Amino acid sequence: MESALPSTESSDPSGSPVVSARGLERIYGEGEASVRALDGVDVDFDHGLFTSIMGPSGSGKSTLMHILAGLDRPTAGTVQIDGVEITDLDDADLTQLRRDKLGFVFQFFNLLPVLTAEENVVLPLTIARRKPDQEWVDQLMETVGLADRKTHRPAELSGGQQQRVAIARALVTRPSVLFADEPTGNLDSESSHQVLQLLRSAVDEFGQTVIMVTHEPDAAAHGDRLIALRDGRLVHDAPPVSADAVIELLKTLG
Amino acid sequence: MLGLTLKSLLARKWRSAMTALAVVFGIALVAGTYVLTDTTNQAFDEIFVKSNEKIDVTITGRERVDQPDGSVPAFPERYLGEVRAVDGVSDAAGSVFTPGSILNDKGKSTGAPFAPQFISSVLPVRLEALDYVEGRPPRKPNEAALDEAAAERGGLRVGDTIRLVGTGAARPYRLVGLTRLGSASFGGSSISQVILPVAQRITGKRGEFDQISVAGRDSISPEELKRRIAAVLPESLLVETGTENAERQASDVRDGLSFLTIALFAFGAISLFVGSFVIFNVFSITVAQRTREFGMLRTLGASRRQILRNVLVEGLVIGLVASVFGVLVGIGLAEGLSALLSGFGIDLPGNSLVVVPRTVIVSFLIGVGVTLVSSMIPAVRATRVPPIAALSEDVLQAGSTRLWIRGLVSFVLGVAGVALIAWVLVGNIEGGAGAARIGAGAVCLVVSIAIFSPRLIQPLVRVIGWPIARFGGLTGKLARENSLRTPARTAVTSAALMIGIALVAFVTIFASGLNSSVTDVIAQNVRGQIILQGPGGFVEIPPEAVRDAETVQGVEAASGVRYTQARVPRAGGTAVASVDPRSVDRVLEIDLVEGTQADLRALAPGRAVIGQKLADEARLGLGDRFRPLTKTGRRPELEVTAIMASGNLDFLGEVVVSETQMDRDFGVKADFFGFVRVKPGQDVEKVKDRISRTLDRPYPTVEVLNQDELEQRQREQINAILALIYVLLALAVVVSLVGIVVTLILSIYERTRELGMLRAVGMSRRQVKRMIRFEAVITAVLGASAGLVLGIVFAFLMGIPLEGEGFVLSYPIPTLVAILVLSALAGVLASVYPARKAARLDVLEAISYE
Repeated sequence: MESALPSTESSDPSGSPVVSARGLERIYGEGEASVRALDGVDVDFDHGLFTSIMGPSGSGKSTLMHILAGLDRPTAGTVQIDGVEITDLDDADLTQLRRDKLGFVFQFFNLLPVLTAEENVVLPLTIARRKPDQEWVDQLMETVGLADRKTHRPAELSGGQQQRVAIARALVTRPSVLFADEPTGNLDSESSHQVLQLLRSAVDEFGQTVIMVTHEPDAAAHGDRLIALRDGRLVHDAPPVSADAVIELLKTLG
Repeated sequence: MLGLTLKSLLARKWRSAMTALAVVFGIALVAGTYVLTDTTNQAFDEIFVKSNEKIDVTITGRERVDQPDGSVPAFPERYLGEVRAVDGVSDAAGSVFTPGSILNDKGKSTGAPFAPQFISSVLPVRLEALDYVEGRPPRKPNEAALDEAAAERGGLRVGDTIRLVGTGAARPYRLVGLTRLGSASFGGSSISQVILPVAQRITGKRGEFDQISVAGRDSISPEELKRRIAAVLPESLLVETGTENAERQASDVRDGLSFLTIALFAFGAISLFVGSFVIFNVFSITVAQRTREFGMLRTLGASRRQILRNVLVEGLVIGLVASVFGVLVGIGLAEGLSALLSGFGIDLPGNSLVVVPRTVIVSFLIGVGVTLVSSMIPAVRATRVPPIAALSEDVLQAGSTRLWIRGLVSFVLGVAGVALIAWVLVGNIEGGAGAARIGAGAVCLVVSIAIFSPRLIQPLVRVIGWPIARFGGLTGKLARENSLRTPARTAVTSAALMIGIALVAFVTIFASGLNSSVTDVIAQNVRGQIILQGPGGFVEIPPEAVRDAETVQGVEAASGVRYTQARVPRAGGTAVASVDPRSVDRVLEIDLVEGTQADLRALAPGRAVIGQKLADEARLGLGDRFRPLTKTGRRPELEVTAIMASGNLDFLGEVVVSETQMDRDFGVKADFFGFVRVKPGQDVEKVKDRISRTLDRPYPTVEVLNQDELEQRQREQINAILALIYVLLALAVVVSLVGIVVTLILSIYERTRELGMLRAVGMSRRQVKRMIRFEAVITAVLGASAGLVLGIVFAFLMGIPLEGEGFVLSYPIPTLVAILVLSALAGVLASVYPARKAARLDVLEAISYE
């Protein structure tokens, strides 16, 4: 059971950052057609904080998240998660890293239609061949407000409900960091609000670290910290004030 | 993860079922063949074991030279006395057991055309294996017994008259008993028993036996008895215990049937090979469609191995399900195959179907193996899906990886195929050896092309789709472009059909070549306008029939031809024919390379005409002497007096001797053909009628034919075999059509949104259907035309080394065109369900479909 939980070291709020990136560069393509998606990004993410990454399209925000999550490799620079350098890990080690330390929430929910809500939630444990902690699963289902929908299939759930199942799935392994990629991009405002509330309470109640890419000012306003990118560079890093202020910020980024 | 795999398989029930169906036929053919041959073999085992139940030792002629009919020479009666004198023998009796014809009183055969019928002699009760279910054994010369099943088939009862034909005229016998061999079934064949002297006379074995059966005293073991008897008999006789004899006969039958087993397995393998294309395609498409799912599983921490296992377990489950159905269908098919074969005159014995564990185990291994191997490449492709695929907005195709491996395999096979074929053409390898190499080369090339086909698709679809795009309007254009969207998919789907059609085209051309070659040989070598042959051309005819035909008014000459196999030093097994020197030059046209027609007329014992091929092989020239080993164990010395052109499909073999010599030294006493030359100015048909009337009563089994009718008979036989092959190849073609159906449905499912859009902007249901139909036709015609081209090329190549045997190719153009048209129609048929499915899509749902 203990192995299912993140190491206590990373849970230590006073310790080093959970995710730490230095000198990140990412160049796509070669020669004249090459695109510099990231151009020297240094950034740390501390434990128990909800960070939003924003920026106009082409700013490199998605690339940054992909690299932080080990889904893409930087052309130069380093990424450490819980003090472990991940940019040179092989596929097997990355798989293990994802099992132990990372959680993902996607724009298109990505639930398996053949599994029930609860089966979808425990899927990461099933994959890792770990026995789910039923109490924790029940608590999660309760938190995401779907305790009465455990046996429903995704097709029987609304978009907002599906995304809440996806969040419970991301939390079930108590990952060091949860990455969310436009989690409200496909939802109406009511459902969006519920999903963001849920991410917020994951941070507040479980001390979860969350890194979210979004282009919605409303969403960014739920975070503790807002960083913004433009042309592959970090141009803004401060606590968000209000949605309106974020809109103003985005305007300056053009 | 296993649970997940099974759940997602169940969620795609329909697709999984179609995938399984792709291999069910192949497995069924393998299982069915096993069941059929096991059943047949067991029946034969039972026959032979039961026959020898009361017999401790058997004595038979030893086989010296392999004969096509497996016959062994009879031996003189005098050995019986020597056997009886051996200490330990309690009973010994000689018997005859020889193929002949059993007819009813009206001269009609009581059995199927190709089912063997036997005339045998009654043994003393202590040795006789047959039980009398009705009546009694024959005791007088004019009495006979018949096996119960044959009597039932012929509607005969005790007291009726039957007629038996061996090497002489048909004679009537009164049916006095009906027999049965335990619970054994003879299939379509039958046995009639008469008393020994009668059996010897009918079969032309006066003073001879086919077998001596011995029962020993209780105090002596069969092995000991065998040893003692063998000690007093010459080497030319084979002495066995009853058990050994039964085992040898059973294994001879097994060997004889093995060609059938191998042929059926080959068709099973073809069907499985085609099925593996379909499975590969379905898995490839499924993996492509599940790209995002695999990416998501990877982000959740699934390892590559887990993804691989996920896909392979699906393959495993589908393979298992297919195997279960395959074995069940196969058991049913065994009955069907048996019925099919007996429809073509091959009537196999057998009581209840025999299903041994090996049948089930091998079928499962094959079913699971083929499915796993076919799903391996898509499974590996699935493991290459990066986790990031879960985040991308559009569903990416998992790119077709390792192109160079495909190219390399295709290249190596292609080079091997070309090399094999070139070896034959350049090295001038003739006959069967050359044909076998060309066949192997063809297999290599077909597989090479099938693997490489995605690269060939683009230009081919452009050409084949041209009329459809040109005249089919917008739907036609869209259909052509759709076929080109995923070239690999179209290629694999049509390659599956290509294989089946290539084989169909090949056997069609080959059979047509065989037909015209036979016609040529008859036209070039036979001067006699009337031909006499046994039932179906499989059984010999009495020489007296030919002699009687010669006496008919209007006949100038009648001459018989006999065949046997002998072993010629430095050349091995060689076909030998005999002619009647008095009339040979009037009924046959023999093309002599050296020597004259006068040498033919002067053919006498001690002289032989040999073929050019044998002359080269055995290094024999005019005036040389050689000693062939005959089936009776003799080695007559023969002097080469003329050399004839080889080829002609072995119509006269490679050695021609006189009839007298054939009778005396080669042990063949019956004619295979009788050729009749009509006097100039006589009406051939009238003379033929007179011969028929003359021969009808004494020789009811003799068929009297003119040249056209003979050619017709030969063609019928070739076409019967062709029909059998068509039926078996149809399985492979059906599997490839299933492939077209599945591929279409899967791509419709993929294009749901696009189809919805087309409908939204005004495409009618009918137009959607037409578009799908066109796509299917393009795929089908593509596969069929590629198959036709390959089939034609390979038939042409195969014909080259066989030219020396007198084989001439001919191309049945109308049939080939019909194959192409039928393939297009089959494409339409395959599109019926997918087209309906596509047309029924709900527009709104299709557009909002994610």
